[in-house]
Amino acid sequence: MKHHKRPGRGTGAVAATLACLLLASCSAGSTATGGSAGKNSLNIGLTAEPANFDFTKTEGAAIPQALLYNVYETLVKLDQSGKIRPQLATSWSLSKDRRTYTFHLVKNATFSNGARFTAEDAKFSIERVTTDWTLVQKTQMDVVDTVRAVSPTELKVTLKRPSNDWLYRMTTRIGAMFSRTGVSKLATEPVGTGPYVVKNWNRGDSITLARRHGYWARTPHFASVTLKYFKDPTAMNNALLTGTINVIGQMQSPESLYRFQNNSKYKVIEGTTNGEVVLSLNNGSGPMKNPKARQAVRYAIDHKALMDTCWAGRGKLIGSMVPPTDPWYQNLTDLYPYDRDKAKKLVEESGEAGRTLRLRIPTLPYATACGTVVKSQLEQAGFKVKLDQLEFPAAWLTTVFKNADYDMSIIGHVEPRDMQTVFGNEKSYIRYDNPEFRALLAKADQGTREQQITDMRAAARLVSKDAAADWLFLLPNLMVADKDITGLPVNSVSESLDLTGLGRS
Amino acid sequence: MIVRLVQRIGILLASLVVSSVLVFAFMAVLPGDPARVALGTSASDSAVAQLREQFGLDRSLVAQYFSWIHGLVTFDPGDSYISHAPIGPQLADRLQVTLWLVGTGMVIACVLALPVGTLMAVRHRKPSGLILSALSQVGVAVPAFLAGILLITVFAVGLGWLPANGWTPPVQDPVLFLKQLVMPALSLGIVQAAVLTRYVRSAVLDVLREDYLRTARAKGLRPTRALLRHGLRNAAVPVVTVLALQLATLLVGSVVIERVFVIPGLGSLLLDSVANRDLIVVQDVVMIIAMAVLLVNFLVDMVYLLIDPRLRGGAS
Amino acid sequence: MSAAATETAVASAGPAGRRRRRPVTGSLLVGGLIVAIVIGMALLSFVWTPHDPTLVNPAVRLQEPSAEYWFGTDKFGRDVFSQVLMGSRTTLFVGFVAVGVAALVGVPLGIVAGMAPRWCGELLMRGNDLLLAFPALLLAIMFAAVYGAGTLVAMVAIGIASIPHFARLIRGGTLQVMETEYVIAARAAGRGPFAIAVRHVLPNVSSLVIVQASVGFAIAVLAEAALSFLGFGTPPPTPSWGRMLQESQELLSIAPRLAVFPGVAIALAVLGFNLLGDGLRDRFDPKLEDRR
Repeated sequence: MKHHKRPGRGTGAVAATLACLLLASCSAGSTATGGSAGKNSLNIGLTAEPANFDFTKTEGAAIPQALLYNVYETLVKLDQSGKIRPQLATSWSLSKDRRTYTFHLVKNATFSNGARFTAEDAKFSIERVTTDWTLVQKTQMDVVDTVRAVSPTELKVTLKRPSNDWLYRMTTRIGAMFSRTGVSKLATEPVGTGPYVVKNWNRGDSITLARRHGYWARTPHFASVTLKYFKDPTAMNNALLTGTINVIGQMQSPESLYRFQNNSKYKVIEGTTNGEVVLSLNNGSGPMKNPKARQAVRYAIDHKALMDTCWAGRGKLIGSMVPPTDPWYQNLTDLYPYDRDKAKKLVEESGEAGRTLRLRIPTLPYATACGTVVKSQLEQAGFKVKLDQLEFPAAWLTTVFKNADYDMSIIGHVEPRDMQTVFGNEKSYIRYDNPEFRALLAKADQGTREQQITDMRAAARLVSKDAAADWLFLLPNLMVADKDITGLPVNSVSESLDLTGLGRS
Repeated sequence: MIVRLVQRIGILLASLVVSSVLVFAFMAVLPGDPARVALGTSASDSAVAQLREQFGLDRSLVAQYFSWIHGLVTFDPGDSYISHAPIGPQLADRLQVTLWLVGTGMVIACVLALPVGTLMAVRHRKPSGLILSALSQVGVAVPAFLAGILLITVFAVGLGWLPANGWTPPVQDPVLFLKQLVMPALSLGIVQAAVLTRYVRSAVLDVLREDYLRTARAKGLRPTRALLRHGLRNAAVPVVTVLALQLATLLVGSVVIERVFVIPGLGSLLLDSVANRDLIVVQDVVMIIAMAVLLVNFLVDMVYLLIDPRLRGGAS
Repeated sequence: MSAAATETAVASAGPAGRRRRRPVTGSLLVGGLIVAIVIGMALLSFVWTPHDPTLVNPAVRLQEPSAEYWFGTDKFGRDVFSQVLMGSRTTLFVGFVAVGVAALVGVPLGIVAGMAPRWCGELLMRGNDLLLAFPALLLAIMFAAVYGAGTLVAMVAIGIASIPHFARLIRGGTLQVMETEYVIAARAAGRGPFAIAVRHVLPNVSSLVIVQASVGFAIAVLAEAALSFLGFGTPPPTPSWGRMLQESQELLSIAPRLAVFPGVAIALAVLGFNLLGDGLRDRFDPKLEDRR
C-alpha cells in the first residue's frame, strides 16, 4: 500500500500527510460495505479521507491513494519494487535524441463509461494537465512539447528537452488517463479504465470500490474493497482487533504494534515509504535564515532518541531528502551527528539564542509526538522554542505552507521524489534558494542515467550540508493485516494504494 | 391558551431568524475566502474567481444570506465547496445517525435516572439514598468520552462481546446496528443519567414537602405510594425542563462520542468540515443544532402548558 | 449546571441580610477540601515539581511508579506526577477564564434585566435564551475554526456559552432583592439605579454568583478535557489533564496508569467543584434546611 499521503510541494501535498486526521469515521460496516464477512470483499483502514474525487484540482495524497491504479490507470505504472512497468502502454521506446517517446497502447481497454481507450484519450489527458489542472504537480508536464496520436494505439510524445523525470512522473497522478467524454463530474463521478469503479461513498466513513465487468486485463481477486477512514489511530487498531477491518493500511500509533505482533491472527509488515518527516526550517526569514542557527538545530537533534521516543523506534534515519527505494539513496546521517555541545556553541555564535523560535506543527500524530521531543531537545541546546499546533489540513496549509509564517515546522513529505518540489523551488515554504542546487537537479534530469544518479546524490548532500532542513526520520511502511491477506507491499513506493495485487490465501 | 401558543410560536420564529443571522454573520467574518480555501494554496486568481461565481460568493452578503435561508427552508442547501457533492442528503444521513444516538442515550438516561432519582429522594436520609447520591456525583464528574474508552477497553477489546466502533444503518443489518449502538449510547446515557438523577431527586424532594403529600402521608400512605399517587406529575415540570436542556448537551456531547466510536454522525461531519474549512457545511450543521435546541425549548413550553394547569394562565 | 438548578437556587436564595448561617455540611467540607487540594497543587507547582514536567528523557520512558517517579513516566520519559501537578494549573486557568467571562457579562446582564422595566427584562432574557441554542462545545469548535485551537480561545467560548446561566440566575435574585423594603426605601429616597445595583443588589446576589461559579468551574474542566480530546484544547507541551488522557489511549493496554492518573484527577476536580457548589447552595438556601 502505498499509502498515503504526500505532500506536495507546493502545496498541497501536505495534506496528505495528513494522514491523520481527517475525516473520519467510520466504521464498520457501514452502508457501503456489503458486509465485512464476505470472502470476496476486503476492508482496509486508512487515515486521510479524500475531500472529493478530483485530483486534478484538489491537493492531497488521499485521492490518488484511493483511485490511482484502481480506478484510473496510467500508461506506465510503478511496481512494488519501484520499477516502471507497462500498464495502458504495452511497450515504449525513446528516440536517439532522448526527446521523443513512442508508446504502443493496449487495444481492448475501455473506460467505465463504456468509451474505448485510444491514443486520442491519452493525448487529451496529457494536454489537459497543462490547460485544466490547478495542482502544483501540473508543472511536471511543462516539459512536454507536442503530443501526437499516430493511430488509435500509437502515441508520440515529444519533450522540449531530454528528461529522466518525465516518464517516472507519468506513473503518478499526472499520468492518469481520462476519457474525453468522462471529465464533466470528476469530483463526484470518476471515470477511468481501471479494474474498479467507485460504487459508494459514505462520506465521513468509507469508500467502496467494486470490481467492474469488462475490465481489459486480469481481474483482481477482491470483488469489493471498502476503504474505511479513521481519524483516531486507536479506533483503527480496535477495528482490526474486533474484526471490523482486515487491514490497517498505515499504522499511526506504532507504539501499539505490540498488540498485533505476538498474535498469530495477524501479520505485521514493516518497510520503507517515501515519507520523509522533515523538520522544516524557514530559510527565508527569521532566526532560521542564519546558517549557524540551522546547523545548531541539526547538531542538537538526537535522531535516534527522537525516533525511539515518538515513533517507537520504527522508521529509518536518512539525513537527507532521499528514501532508500530511490536509486540515488545514500545514508547522510553522519553529516551532522548529534552533538549537544557543538550545538550550544553554534547557538551562541549565531546570536539567535535570545530569540524565540515558533515551531508550528500540524495536528497529526507524528508531528505532535515529534514536536514535543524536538522542543525539548532544542531547549537543552540553548534555543527558546514556542510550540503552536495548527489544525491540519486547512490552518497549517495556509499559515505554514502557503504564507511561510513560521520558523520551524514538522511535516511528512510523502510525495515520491519530492526533493525538487520542496527544495528546488525558492518559493516553496522552506524558501531554500541555492542556484547551485537547482543546477544539479536540472543536470540530473537531462543527463544519462549514471549522471542522474551522481548529480542527484550531490544535490542531496548539498541540501543536507546547507542544513536547509533537518530530516527527523523516514516514516515506516507499517501495515497490519489478517494473516491470510496476501500481496501487501513491503515498501511503499508510489502514490497509489494498489489493490489489484491483493488476495486471500 | 391560544394567545400563549401564538406568542410562543412568534418567539420561536424570531429566535430562529436571529440565530440564523448570528451564524451567518459569524461565518462571514471568518478570515479567508472560502473559494480560495476550497481550491487550495496554489490556485490561480482566475480559478478562484470562477469558483466564487459558481457558488454565488460574488453576490452581496444579503443576497447570500437569503439564498442560504432559501436553501435550508427548501431542504436543498446546495453543494459543498470542498466535496462538490450535494449537502442535503449528507446532512439528512448524518442527522439520522446522531438522532439514533442521542435518542437512545436519552432513553437510557431517563430509564436510569427516574427511578434512581426518586429512590434517592424518598430515602434521602438513609444510607442507601446517600450512596446513590454519591454515585451520581461521581457519574457527573466522569467525562463521557472516558466512559466510552473504558467501555471499549472492557467489552470490545477485552471481552470481545461488541464491535469496538463503527456504524451500520438499521435497515442494513439490525443486529449489527444494535451491537454497535450499545456502547456509544451507554456512554452518553450513563453520564446524562447521573446529571439527571440529581434533578429528579431535588424535584421529588420539593414535591414530598408539599402539604398535600404530607397530608397523604399523615393519613398513613407510605411515602412511595403517596408520591406515585399524587406527586410525580408535579415533579415532572422541572424534570422536563432539564431533559430539554440536556438534549442540547447530548447533541453536542455526541460530537465527542462519535469521534471515540467512529460514527459518521452530525458531530463528525462538523469536525471534518471544520478541519477542511468546508464552511458552508459548518454553517449548516451549526444552524441545525441551534434549530434543534430552539425547537425543543419550544416544545417544552408547550408541554408545560399541558402538564401544569397553573401555568396556563399566564407568566412564564 | 443547568438553568433549572439555578432556578431552584434563585427562587430560594434570599437577600444576604436575611440569610441564616447553617452548620457546614458534608458536601461543603469534602468539596472545599478537594478544591483546596487542587489549588494547593497548582500553587506548589510554581515552586516545586519533582521533575521538569516537559523534559523529554528517552532513557526513562514508560517507567513504572517508583520512589523517583511517583506516578511513573510516559512515553516521552516525562514524569507523570509532575505533569499532574502542573496540569492543575491549566485546570484552574481554564476555570477562571470561563467563569470569569461568564460572570463578567452574565452578572451585569442579569442585574440590568432584573432592574429594567419588565418588558425590557423579558426581551433581554429572550436574547439570553438564544445563546442557549449554541452549546458550549459547539461554540468552542466554531471559535477554534476561526481563531485556531488554544486553551484561551476554547475557554472564552465556554465562558460565553455559560453567560445565560449566570444571567438567568442573577436576574431571578435581582427581582427578589428589588422587592425588599430597603430597596424600596432607597428608591423612594431618590437613589439612582446604578447606586442601588452596586449598594444593594450586587452584595445580595453575590452568594448566587459564588455557587454558580463553582458549578461553572466543574463544567469548564470537563469541557477542557473534551476539547483536548478532540484536539481543540490545550496544545502540547503544556501539561493538561485532558491531553494526558488523550495521549494515554495509544498505550492503554500496557500502561493503563497513564489514563488512570489524569482521569482520576479530572473526575476528582469536577467532583470537588460540584460538591462545593452544592454545599454552598445548601448553606445559602434556607428552603433546603430540613432536608439534611
